[in-house]
Amino acid sequence: MYFKLARRNIKRSAKDYVIYFITIIFIVMIMYSFLALGFSADIISISENMPIFTTYIIALSVIVTLISSFIVSYAVGFMLKQRKKEFAIYELLGMEVGAIQKLFLIENAVIGVLAFLIGLAAGTMLVGILTQIVKNIFDIPHSYRVSFSIKALLLSFVFFMLMYGAGLARSIRIIRQKKTVDLLYDSRKNEVISKQGRTSLRLALVIFSVFAIGTGIFLGGYGLTMQTNSAWGYLIGSIILLLAGVYVIYRNFPIMLITYAKRKNLKYSECNLFYLGQIGHRVQSSGRMMAITAILLTISLMTMFIGLVTGAGYKANMETYYPYDAGVAFDAPFTKNSFDGLISFVDEKCPVQEEIVFYLHDVDGYSIDALALSDYNALRSMLGLETVELPDDEYLVHCDTWTHIESIRAAMNKQPDVTIMDATLKNPQARINEEAMEQFQMAGTNGYVLIVADTIAAMLPANKIRVVMKLENGGIPELRSEIRRYLNSGQWHPELQAGEILPEHVTMGVTVKAWGLSNSLTSFTSISFCGLYLSIVFILLSCSILAFEQLSALDINRRNYQIIDKIGVSRQMQQKLVHRELSTFFFIPLVLPIIVMAVLMFGAQRLYSAYVYQKGIIPLYGFATITIFAILYSAYYVVTCHLFKSNIFMNKT
Amino acid sequence: MSMREILRIDHIQKYYDNSGNITKAIKDISFSVQEGEFVGIMGASGSGKTTLLNCISTIDRASAGHIYLAGTDVTEIKEKEIARFRRENLGFVFQDFNLLDTLTVSENIALTLTINHVSPEQVSGLVHKIAVTLDIADILEKYPYQISGGQKQRCACARALINKPKLILADEPTGALDSHSSQVLLSTIQSINTELGATILMVTHDAFSASHASRILFLRDGEIFGEILKEHDTRRVFFEKTLDVLTKIGGGVGDVF
Repeated sequence: MYFKLARRNIKRSAKDYVIYFITIIFIVMIMYSFLALGFSADIISISENMPIFTTYIIALSVIVTLISSFIVSYAVGFMLKQRKKEFAIYELLGMEVGAIQKLFLIENAVIGVLAFLIGLAAGTMLVGILTQIVKNIFDIPHSYRVSFSIKALLLSFVFFMLMYGAGLARSIRIIRQKKTVDLLYDSRKNEVISKQGRTSLRLALVIFSVFAIGTGIFLGGYGLTMQTNSAWGYLIGSIILLLAGVYVIYRNFPIMLITYAKRKNLKYSECNLFYLGQIGHRVQSSGRMMAITAILLTISLMTMFIGLVTGAGYKANMETYYPYDAGVAFDAPFTKNSFDGLISFVDEKCPVQEEIVFYLHDVDGYSIDALALSDYNALRSMLGLETVELPDDEYLVHCDTWTHIESIRAAMNKQPDVTIMDATLKNPQARINEEAMEQFQMAGTNGYVLIVADTIAAMLPANKIRVVMKLENGGIPELRSEIRRYLNSGQWHPELQAGEILPEHVTMGVTVKAWGLSNSLTSFTSISFCGLYLSIVFILLSCSILAFEQLSALDINRRNYQIIDKIGVSRQMQQKLVHRELSTFFFIPLVLPIIVMAVLMFGAQRLYSAYVYQKGIIPLYGFATITIFAILYSAYYVVTCHLFKSNIFMNKT
Repeated sequence: MSMREILRIDHIQKYYDNSGNITKAIKDISFSVQEGEFVGIMGASGSGKTTLLNCISTIDRASAGHIYLAGTDVTEIKEKEIARFRRENLGFVFQDFNLLDTLTVSENIALTLTINHVSPEQVSGLVHKIAVTLDIADILEKYPYQISGGQKQRCACARALINKPKLILADEPTGALDSHSSQVLLSTIQSINTELGATILMVTHDAFSASHASRILFLRDGEIFGEILKEHDTRRVFFEKTLDVLTKIGGGVGDVF
């Protein structure tokens, strides 16, 4: 019998349940799909250090559970508020409190189970897509496949029970504590905007907050450029200032705006009066709500953006950091033959298709190494780049590190000619090649190198030697440690060039593209997906708070709209007013996060673009962040708007 | 008092179709109201008085017949035009005040002006003027939940009156008030009628309230049962006449005596 009543209640209070229902579906969907991704054997086997990804996801799920239990208890609180009267009537009719609790529990259990199942189904679809995204990142051939993970299901279920249980326990307590009389008589008093005397205080607070935000941004920017541990101090200080600033502005600014608007004749034009009244009467509580939402949104946008950009930046850099399949660098005057052993050693592991052994030459009086044209062209053809021509009396610069290009160009403008061993070399077209081909210690020590004719190079001392290899199928990640082991094992005996002595310290470098990429891609995937996971949950949290806040005022709003309908405000105008009212509550909290986001994007572009080798990554991922966010946010806005309208304009002729 | 006809009800009918069961709320009603008149409409619950008022006020549509307000056939107005017609021609006073709790008294009154596009500079002056007339000038900055029921209803009257509508419709205006407040309010409404010349149509089931009108129409089962005119009677005499008619109708106050 309870079950029947519960079912009918759900049907009747569907409007109260919709947002709750959608939010739980979203949370289950996100949680299950990320857990399933973390547990997927397919994904874990992608690289050596991929299991760390699983650990991150599980750890984050605990945080997500905490956040979600907050949403659930908020939602349950909202529903209790909507249905106080109904419960009071049950009590008046003589229903036991226990029975009412049971009824509410059954209702919620039905909703919960249903939402969990739908969320699970949607999550299963999503895992397929996420897996594809990950495989795409690793350039592994992929096709959409629906798979199911028992482990993820069990863990999602446990987390779900935890968050749901916490929320429901709270509601049961509320029902027990409330007196019938409290449930029956709901105070309908408006919040009165505080006296005007405090406007100046509010103004001072707002100005102060703007300062706090400015300082926060400055400290943050400063902290990011620091290399020491005190950077953390700056960053934490910056975050606290930013959040406090956002909160205080939102607590005060709407009130100030309304007070201001009400003083002016502005309020007497068309329906402004009604609009201001609608906004104004909830201004205190909505100020708090807007502040919380604005902060949550700021956090989620920042998390998503930083996660995506750091991850993508990492990946883009790694692609260009490893132009060669494998490479070994020694800053020592070894002979070229010294590497024969190494090359045959590598060949046994992975067939070597092509190898180039070359020197970097010291140039007296310049802090740049020189590379012979023939070696340069060999490297270029290995990478599939066009070879270049260079007359004997000319030079060119190869530099693929953005940070240096400007200063090199400036130096060349100042002093266009280079003098090497009495020969003056010119660079009439001021050529600087920028292709990614010589990072680390392979070609240029500092990320730039001077290209000169072979005859010139032959005259220069060759104190640095490099070997790069092109391997069949690009090689394997394990090769890196094997090469290192071989070079250190004593099996390898390099020969010194005639008349040279071994320097006291020999710098050695080993790079293997396959190792570097899989390593960096794991970091990319972990950082990006964790950022995404957390921020989506934060967005869900703030959206549902916003939606509940709007719907909780439905009864009063319905009455208000009926009144203006009676005194002759057209239906069209009423619809407009609904949109205006809702968009105010939905979009005002967006203003500051968007500003913070813009500053972040701009700052990141300025500070980091130099370190990110692929241009446009920051704007691209900024756009991605905003898109994901906008989709979720609009979904909630549309649903809320629909519920709001269908309730306000129902039963009207 | 000029004798121009402001409202003419021409054989209107209203029936509700509840899955085949037709209920006639108004069988056939015709009457007219002259400019400056204060007409009371009385009847027991279910007699059709609120339905009649809703049809006149364009909140509901008549099933048949015509309603002419200042020459316009209300029943022919297009859906889109209704809101405009309502705000330009009608003033409302409801039993439950229908004031917006979100606005102060002065803002509630001003609302009618702003949706009629009165220029913002004039609004404050007009609101103040009407507030003085209705003796609510000192509570203009209060919110509805801070004032008494009688004050609220006077505020509602001010809102209904400020736009100088052709007809003021009052639906049980004293229904939620205690007897003292009712008396004060009825005097106010009466003075709105006599001093400001407003035309008022008031629906009530209370004989005392109705006795403030200059003419009373009695409804029973969706038809006009009778009509009495105050003319030169004192209110007391008129009140007793009203009770007599109610006794004849059967029900209402008549049952008590």
